[in-house]
Amino acid sequence: MSQSNAPIRLAVIDTDSGFVRVLAKRLESMSWQFRALEAPVPPHELVAMRLNALVLDVGLLGPNAWDYIERVGEGIPGLGLIVCTGRSTVAQRVRGLRLGADDWVTKPCHPEEVIARVESVVRRRKRSDIRAERGPLVAGEVEIRMDQFQAFVGGQNLDLTRREFELLQLLAEARGQVLQREEIYQRVWGYAMAHGDRSVDVFVRKLRQKLESGSPGWRYIHTHFGIGYRFQPEPQEGAVPMAERETAAEPVAEQPVAEPERSPSAA
Amino acid sequence: MVLLEEAAGNARIATATLRDLLADYPERRHLARELLKQEQDGDRITHDILHRLAENGVRSPFPSADVHALAGAIDDIVDHAEQTADSLGLYGVEAPMEQAQQLADVLAQSGAAVEAAVSGLREWSELGSRLVPIHQLENEGDRLSREAIASLFARGIDPMVVIRWKDIFESLEQAIDSCETVAHVLEGIALQAGG
Repeated sequence: MSQSNAPIRLAVIDTDSGFVRVLAKRLESMSWQFRALEAPVPPHELVAMRLNALVLDVGLLGPNAWDYIERVGEGIPGLGLIVCTGRSTVAQRVRGLRLGADDWVTKPCHPEEVIARVESVVRRRKRSDIRAERGPLVAGEVEIRMDQFQAFVGGQNLDLTRREFELLQLLAEARGQVLQREEIYQRVWGYAMAHGDRSVDVFVRKLRQKLESGSPGWRYIHTHFGIGYRFQPEPQEGAVPMAERETAAEPVAEQPVAEPERSPSAA
Repeated sequence: MVLLEEAAGNARIATATLRDLLADYPERRHLARELLKQEQDGDRITHDILHRLAENGVRSPFPSADVHALAGAIDDIVDHAEQTADSLGLYGVEAPMEQAQQLADVLAQSGAAVEAAVSGLREWSELGSRLVPIHQLENEGDRLSREAIASLFARGIDPMVVIRWKDIFESLEQAIDSCETVAHVLEGIALQAGG
């Protein structure tokens, strides 16, 4: 079930009346707000419906399916888009997911699975909305800004990717605790970690490089071999504090320079 | 004979390149471009071998059909290795899987064993012993591949991860299988020469 008390608002664009009827009956018993559409509607009409998620059979759109997925994904960033359609090729599924679909279900499928996937997508989106409302988190020299999905050191952007930011946020919020790789993967990627998947290690390495580059002299992420990682900002011995680094850099900026020519607008 | 050895040497280099690419992925992505060049080199060598076979007056040390099959099987090793590297980029793979690294290691060992076996055509007495490791490595590759694919179907794994890695594990296994095909062709040649 959804974490929020508000009922999920879902639209289904599908002409498979049997599938829609069974789905509608089940959703009714769950008190979801449900709307069945037999043809695609423009994204601005979807906006007006204030939906949490859209289940779409791309078979109805033919060659326009890709353009539609892209426009819905870009135009309504808060909307979870689940493609539920007949058999497709790997290339089609990859393309759909890359263009903006959050999930892809192949028919024939059980309505319960579709509902679970909608819940999963909506849950992930709600989590990210909540994060955006929180204030900055300061750890060592790093300021983690949830509202900007970014981290800063002395005002300098660390240029984290979305995935790197989510990893940093998760680790920083569990400061001092060892998080297992499987748990990190589950919470950042949203799925169970496949045995042997090195994604967590690769992204921790990238994140470390960016943190160490922006905040040299500090160690933030500690490895617990065979288990996972722990976030704990620790200044290294002999490290120069950020304020002193800035002061040391100032004389260079204060070298006497020639008077610049005034632009007409400044005159 | 020289061209066959060149093709086998290229297969050894290409399989080692794939192993190195996966070992540090994604740090050394540029190795995928090197692998593409090695695949093109392989195509050129295979073309040269087939062209020589078709030339009148050029006598092959073995039946033409065997040389044809051998050149094709060696070329397949490099093609599948390159296809694996290409899939990493095509599917936007962000990080490796340990099983893929292990399979690539088996493939690199197999590529080196293929080179040794092809050069064994010059010393017939040693050919048999040089084919044994290729079969052993293929068995090891089969086992790793089955376990790797099975691990993808555990509960709750991202379907995109399953799609990507199933394809990649399969192309790694095909490359290892092609090494065994080379061993089979060499065994055929040895049997005919012995008969």
